[in-house]
Amino acid sequence: MLLFSIAVCLVLWAGQWAANRASQTQADAIHRAIDINALGLRAEIAKYSALPYSATLQPDVINALSQDGVMFRQRVNLYLEDVNQRVGSDAFYVMDLKGLTIAASNWQSPKTFIGQNYANRPYFINALKGETGLFFGIGQTTAIPGLFIATPAHQNGKIIGVVVIKVSLRDIESAWSDFNAPIMVSDANGIFFLGSVSAWKYQANRALEKDALEWLLRHKQYGERKVFSQVAWSVEHLKVNSGYLIQTQLDEKTQRYLAFDQELPELGWKLTVMGDYKPILWARVTTLILGTLGMGLLIFVALYWQLREKRLTDQSNARQELEVRVKERTHELNESLAFQKAMENSLLVGMRARDLEGRIIYVNTAFCEMTGFSSSTLIGCLPPYPYWDQDDLTRHWNESKTVLSGNAALEGFESRIKHLDGQDVQTMVYTAPLIDATGKHKGWMSSVVDISEQKKYETKQRLLDAQLQHSARLASMGEMATTLAHELNQPLMALTSYASAARAFAEQNNQSLLISSLQEITIQSQRSADIVRRIRGFVKPLTTGVELCHINALVNNVLSLLQPEIKRNQATVISKLAEILPAVSGDRVLLEQVILNLIVNSLQAMQSKSNEDRLITIETLMIDQSIHVRVSDCGTGISADVAENMFAPFFTTKTDGLGLGLNICRTIIESHHGELSFENRVNDISKGAIFSIKLPAQI
Amino acid sequence: MSQTPLNLYVVDDDEAVRRSLGMLFLSRGYSVQIFESGEAFLAAKQLDHQGCVVLDFRLDGMNGLEVLKEMRLRLSSLVVIFLSGHGDIPAAVNAVQNGAFGWLEKPCNHDLLLQKVQQALEHATQLALLKTEKDQALARWLKLTPREKEVARLVADGKTSKVIARELVSIESRTVETHRANAFSKLGFSNSNELDRFLRHNDL
Repeated sequence: MLLFSIAVCLVLWAGQWAANRASQTQADAIHRAIDINALGLRAEIAKYSALPYSATLQPDVINALSQDGVMFRQRVNLYLEDVNQRVGSDAFYVMDLKGLTIAASNWQSPKTFIGQNYANRPYFINALKGETGLFFGIGQTTAIPGLFIATPAHQNGKIIGVVVIKVSLRDIESAWSDFNAPIMVSDANGIFFLGSVSAWKYQANRALEKDALEWLLRHKQYGERKVFSQVAWSVEHLKVNSGYLIQTQLDEKTQRYLAFDQELPELGWKLTVMGDYKPILWARVTTLILGTLGMGLLIFVALYWQLREKRLTDQSNARQELEVRVKERTHELNESLAFQKAMENSLLVGMRARDLEGRIIYVNTAFCEMTGFSSSTLIGCLPPYPYWDQDDLTRHWNESKTVLSGNAALEGFESRIKHLDGQDVQTMVYTAPLIDATGKHKGWMSSVVDISEQKKYETKQRLLDAQLQHSARLASMGEMATTLAHELNQPLMALTSYASAARAFAEQNNQSLLISSLQEITIQSQRSADIVRRIRGFVKPLTTGVELCHINALVNNVLSLLQPEIKRNQATVISKLAEILPAVSGDRVLLEQVILNLIVNSLQAMQSKSNEDRLITIETLMIDQSIHVRVSDCGTGISADVAENMFAPFFTTKTDGLGLGLNICRTIIESHHGELSFENRVNDISKGAIFSIKLPAQI
Repeated sequence: MSQTPLNLYVVDDDEAVRRSLGMLFLSRGYSVQIFESGEAFLAAKQLDHQGCVVLDFRLDGMNGLEVLKEMRLRLSSLVVIFLSGHGDIPAAVNAVQNGAFGWLEKPCNHDLLLQKVQQALEHATQLALLKTEKDQALARWLKLTPREKEVARLVADGKTSKVIARELVSIESRTVETHRANAFSKLGFSNSNELDRFLRHNDL
């Protein structure tokens, strides 16, 4: 749009420029015409203006004007006629001081000037003043327009008359009419009196003032004409060169002219020369058309260029986009490949693919690391593979045959292979058929898991469990020792006191009290011995050996051990022990430990209960070759979420518990080929939990 | 000055221990009473007596520390010696902070126990004396009229009769002299220094 506006402006400007240039050219032409025509006019006038003066020098003319000069008048007539005829002027005549024509070139014409008085004419008046009277007017006698040139005739320094020549200037006018544009001459009042356009004659180019009109009428400059209308045209003044544009109706056509004025001061006239405006218009129009065409072309080219550029840009963009997309796709593909590669490499599981004959067609990094062989070594290999144990080839052959015949176990099988460095690697092998894209069975894909570490860990874990049981027993013993020590303190305290009292009573000779004290000493000594025996039973050497144990004895032992603890908790324990029970085979200390643990748990479970409700029942019984020990409490029972984690290591509901007790208990019982289970008492009046130990009986 | 007889008590939930201790103290000529629990001891209304309690720390029911706290609440002036098993050091510290006189670990040397009990009884005697003195002083003090008490406090501050008369506004110097003479007579003092010491010593 902007471009279009600029183009329009440019075209308009070019049109204006062309018009200006054309009008300048026209103006120049007009100025030249003005110069030529002004010169021509001046020359014409100059040609005649000398004639009246030369006539005043004629003695006959002087004589004729002097007193009694009548006799000379005919001679003057002849002279005037002769000159008039020779120079081609209209009339040549002599007037006396009163304005009366006394001699004239047309003396023979019926309309002779002789006897006519022209005293009212300005040229006469001017001439009487001693000046050259110059006046264009319409002849009063002839009614023919012409230029009157008057010169005073002197005798002895006095004006005695006036000689006048009248020139029609028709020749000049007719020469002008050949010109292609009007040439006009106007007088001081702006009335055109001479020119190529007859229609404009005696019309004024401006409004006449009243004085001027009166003067015109009085001097009859333009005959009897009384009205001088203004020329019918519109004038547009130009900014430059004092020129102006004229638009008018001539010969029933609208005409436009460029006009310039030239003052002719010595004549009191103004010469107006016009030039046709059409060429200027044409120049403008042509330029506008050409400019518009040019601009149109330019715009068209520009638009075309723009279109072409756009198309090229589009093409370029499309190409770039394509490149970017190709790059992206390539990148994605690479990433996906890298991803796959990384995945394969990061797999700890060894992957091995074989064809139907057993030839290795693929192995991943993990498999290579597992065996110590590079993939290039392995791929293409047929059994026996390099990682087979040379000392155990039969087993490998059997395994391989089983797999290749499709009979491998779905849950996998363990296989020991030999690493390149000679180390044994325990593996777990899982195999699935390898089906290609067309659905054809191509071979077998095996995933091989290195379970060496797991095996090691399992062994280690077994050791660790044993250690843990041992430490738990030690910890529990420490706790027991504190309780037992306190219990032992009581009889010791009593012993000390009684002994001291006995000595005092002995000194005081107080026999009865002495004996009483000594009896007490015996009792307390016995009590101490009992306690010590219980401790010794518990802290027996850490035998892990297996012996035949009597469950009832174990329970009683534990109960006596726990007696202070039970007392402290203000609980009551009811024992319902089967009278005859077979022995069980196991570690006495460990089994005692489990029973102890269950009773302590029960005591703790009932801490929130009132004293009379703190009841523990311990039963031993024989069911189907198994010996059962049941510990029931009246505690809060076991909630579902606690039950779920009951045997998990480090799970505890106690604020100071380690969470290992029940876990170890179960491990101990299971190592005795038994079971440890629990349930809630729901069918009883009092709620609580029941823990059951089931052990195989030795019969 | 008459002296209240001193009492010796043993509180232990282990029958053998409390009976043996009873026998021990009996053999040394002490009059001793034994209790099987803290609750039984507190219920026996012996708390306002003067004397010593040998208190087992690990008692069934209320433990020793709880019994001590209850005794303090009831403003008992009985001196307490704790007996406890091995390894109750924090409890011991706590007990002593709560005003126990001593702490002995079971089983303890009987000489040490007897020595500690003797010290405790002496301490109890001191306490009893002090208590008697205080009671007597208080009794004398209570014989004074309110105005006499007022004047006596100002006299103890070392103020002259004129100053006291000015401070108490409504009475004359001569009247102050009279109150002063009465106060000195009732309390058995001859000068203001004695009066001042008496007031301070008895927290009056």
